[in-house]
Amino acid sequence: MTRKETNGMTESKPVLHVGIDLGTSRSSISASNGQRHVVESYVGWPLDMVARKVLKKPVLIGKEALDNRSMLDLHRPLEEGLIKDGSEKDEAAVRELLWHLLSLVGVARETRNGMKVRAVVGVPAEALRVNKQNVRKAMQDAVDNLMIVSEPFAVAYGLEALLHTMIIDLGAGTTDFCVMNGRLPADEEQRTLTQAGDWIDEQLSRLTRERFPDARFSIHMVRAWKEESSFVGATRNPVVVTVPVNGKPTSIDITQEMRQACEGLLPPIVESMLDLLSRVQPDYQEKVRNNIVVSGGTGLIRGLGPRLEQELAAVGGGKVKVVKDPVFVGSDGGLSIALDAPDADWEKLTS
Amino acid sequence: MPQSKANVDRLKRRLLHDLVQQNVELIQGRMRRPSRPRRVPYLRLAGALVLVALSTALIGSTRLLSTLAAAPPPLRALGALQAGQALAPNLPNPSMAANLPPAGEGGSFSLPARSSSLAAATIDPAVLPLAVRKIALDAGHGGDSLGTRTPLGVLEKDITLDIARRLRLLLEAGHGFEVVMTRQEDHAVSLAERAAIANRSGADVFVSVHVNWIENRTARGVETYFLGPTNDPFLNRLAALENRDSGYSMADMRQLLDGIYAGVRQDKSRQLAEVVQGALFRSLGRVNPGIEDRGVKSAPFIVLLSTQMPAILAEVACASNAEEARLLAKPLYRQYIAEALAGGLRAYASEARGAAAAHGG
Repeated sequence: MTRKETNGMTESKPVLHVGIDLGTSRSSISASNGQRHVVESYVGWPLDMVARKVLKKPVLIGKEALDNRSMLDLHRPLEEGLIKDGSEKDEAAVRELLWHLLSLVGVARETRNGMKVRAVVGVPAEALRVNKQNVRKAMQDAVDNLMIVSEPFAVAYGLEALLHTMIIDLGAGTTDFCVMNGRLPADEEQRTLTQAGDWIDEQLSRLTRERFPDARFSIHMVRAWKEESSFVGATRNPVVVTVPVNGKPTSIDITQEMRQACEGLLPPIVESMLDLLSRVQPDYQEKVRNNIVVSGGTGLIRGLGPRLEQELAAVGGGKVKVVKDPVFVGSDGGLSIALDAPDADWEKLTS
Repeated sequence: MPQSKANVDRLKRRLLHDLVQQNVELIQGRMRRPSRPRRVPYLRLAGALVLVALSTALIGSTRLLSTLAAAPPPLRALGALQAGQALAPNLPNPSMAANLPPAGEGGSFSLPARSSSLAAATIDPAVLPLAVRKIALDAGHGGDSLGTRTPLGVLEKDITLDIARRLRLLLEAGHGFEVVMTRQEDHAVSLAERAAIANRSGADVFVSVHVNWIENRTARGVETYFLGPTNDPFLNRLAALENRDSGYSMADMRQLLDGIYAGVRQDKSRQLAEVVQGALFRSLGRVNPGIEDRGVKSAPFIVLLSTQMPAILAEVACASNAEEARLLAKPLYRQYIAEALAGGLRAYASEARGAAAAHGG
């Protein structure tokens, strides 16, 4: 936590800087007091009086909400990384999620502990103006100053990959592409696909249901299978999961379905990557090809980096680096931006 | 390539400056906008009322209000004959069009008034802010109906089905809409059956996906149609081609004309066409810089006439243009088309919700 000087006078309020990555699946926060937390982007309210008595909380967030979903009006309020339009409940859920994230890094809801909170929030690359306004609205009472940035830009900033680099941020709701050329990326240097982790879940669910029609499973179980065992290309480890079949726990082999679902994501990603590369100035194309960074939770699909490098061979070869700690790379990038921005600039950005 | 610390710091300073500027503009943009949804301006309201009155008078329907309340509207022979008689001589002419509000301000195609007294009994479409939950997707052509063909031999019926399938996934998974497809495989479906599928399902909007073919091979781009007459001989020919084998008789047609509940559905259709056309042009422009905005047009496509909800026909590319034909062969471009259509539909649904909020609160 830092105390900032303004006009030669020390402000009485300490300042807490935070970077927040609001994700469809998970949301993370990195704070200048050294705390980092991640929560599942689920918010649930007890369905009735009995549920309220059992759960003993007015609202549940993250894994706790997911684990008690049968007793909750459960919301996953971020659709493709953006606040769903038009649903008051989803807007309320985003506010609860934000307050929860802030509370995890020590910001009390009522008083903010007397701190001034300055936040940088990442949104998908092609987020429309109205979506950014929705984020602003949701954050209004929670922070003093707010800056909204594109998620891949936050990642690039955090990694200091600001020149001749391509970021491919594979999240749950969107896959964001961004070419960094030492300036804020223009529209033609950014791309958002809505095929991402959730899309794999749907494909895997459909394929598994087709092959094992009697098996009973939920999308949450499918998501867990993917996070545990997703891969492209060859694998030596079969993917075997246990599901109820006619009421009896049964092991089923979904290796083929997992491969097919994950590899279904490759064509649009490869085509977008090559298309964006082809738009880079010819002098710098080779540099960008050799500086491709894959981030985001879905980027952890085994074999993805080498497979993208194989595809790059057709245009002269290249190198793909997969970020090992994708969970915090966006929020850490946001925190770096928050800390680097001068006070005078922050004051222009009152939430 | 590693950069020196000083260079990185300089870069960061510049980026931060631009980023702050971008955010300041975002805040200023918010402050310029009213926090409540915009009310319908007086002129637009008046224009809409006049238009609805004119359209109603022309079609000769005496049951606009009951039709609006009923879903689906029952077809009646009474008045249909009048409609058939009235429509033909009343195609728009430039002088009449000049007296009506411009597109986007409540005007669509112009029709002469038969009685001004109906104005008081008509309804501004803006007061019917209906939510969009179910979308009917119509992949143009199929089976023996091949549609057009790119120089590379790719058939329109295959392109439209591929785009519709991609669009379905996006709408269901990404946006939570319920989707009904008029065809899911490569088989022939008559235009009457396509409309019937959409009508039976209770879809809130209908989107027909097609690929254009234009004699001038340099022409390219996207255009979106909603139902209405046209004086353009090319569009009449195009509509006649698309309307072949519709499965409707002349008597059916009269009933269908009676079933167009005046300007309301048409106004919604035009709004939908404008939003989708804008989304197609803007989104595809990023990957197809030479794309042309060929605009929102009205034309008498039967599939638009016989559907009972706001309906559009989107020509998402020109197969006759070599560059667009090449792009259409790429799955990614078809994905972009689907994403652009999904974006447009989502925006239209949001507008409908916004209107509902404004009128509800």
